[in-house]
Amino acid sequence: MKLGKVPLYCDNTSAISLTKNPIQHSKTKHIEIRHHFIRDHVRKGDCEIKFVKTKNQLADLFTKPLVRDRFNKLRKKLNILDLKNVI
Amino acid sequence: MSKGYARGSVDKTLFIRKHERHVILVQVYVDDIIFGSNNDSMCNEFVAAMQGEFKMSMMGEITYFLGLQVKQLKQGTFISQSKYYFNLLKKFELENCKEVVTPTTTNYLMDLDEVGQQVDSTKHKGLTGSLLDLITSRPTIQFSVCLYARFQSNLKESHYKDAKGILKYLKGTINVGLWYPSNSKITLSGFSNFDYASCKLDRKIISGTCHLLGSSLISWNRKKASLYGTLHS
Repeated sequence: MKLGKVPLYCDNTSAISLTKNPIQHSKTKHIEIRHHFIRDHVRKGDCEIKFVKTKNQLADLFTKPLVRDRFNKLRKKLNILDLKNVI
Repeated sequence: MSKGYARGSVDKTLFIRKHERHVILVQVYVDDIIFGSNNDSMCNEFVAAMQGEFKMSMMGEITYFLGLQVKQLKQGTFISQSKYYFNLLKKFELENCKEVVTPTTTNYLMDLDEVGQQVDSTKHKGLTGSLLDLITSRPTIQFSVCLYARFQSNLKESHYKDAKGILKYLKGTINVGLWYPSNSKITLSGFSNFDYASCKLDRKIISGTCHLLGSSLISWNRKKASLYGTLHS
């Protein structure tokens, strides 16, 4: 089974630019070599980093507590549903 | 192994056998086995081989495995843990509690609560364990459970109240579970996110990732990182 380039969505544009272009400046000098793992994979073509608006960032559910509407919206987008809505 | 099964490279208890266009997947957990195939005769062959070798009984189509309730429908597969949850509610005498809409409020306050009253930790460590189990079918409570689990060594009344908040949320959404529609596309996509200095106790970064196959969640992860150097990992 071939998955091709796996898209990895991120809502931080500077993080995305860093994966594409390995520039070094004072803000990034503390990033250790082992953390350039993702850059290697981008170069090999295993994955590609894409931008997603924060409001569509599904991983928000795992990093912070959310208000009701957004919580339920993300929950539904992840296909975590009530049994009666499925059938 | 001698019958042509190959062991999974990541999951060592997954066995795969391919034959022309047919494939059989066998997942072993101690003495429980689940298997699936796109060919009936391969299934029958496997069952016969297992029953010949070991004293095993065939339970038929999967409905319950390691606490997970599995419902197989024409449109897809549904995984939930409502029975497990019911028992948990009974154990903590919260059957008649009020329901809440989210597991943690956005203005949550979590600290060590050094002056608070200590609670009997044995029972509540059990609660943490159970809640961690429940994450399997309810990834939405991951953040809240991990938040609560951090205070296990010195559990206070206020932390226990937060844990009850999670149970109250679950009560309102008892039949919610993971849904895997059968017509979904096989495309993998990932989401990655960070929350800077969000941990109110030590200002560490919280990172979260999730992966979707088609439109359904297949893996997720949440981690508290200590270095800001890990920012772009």
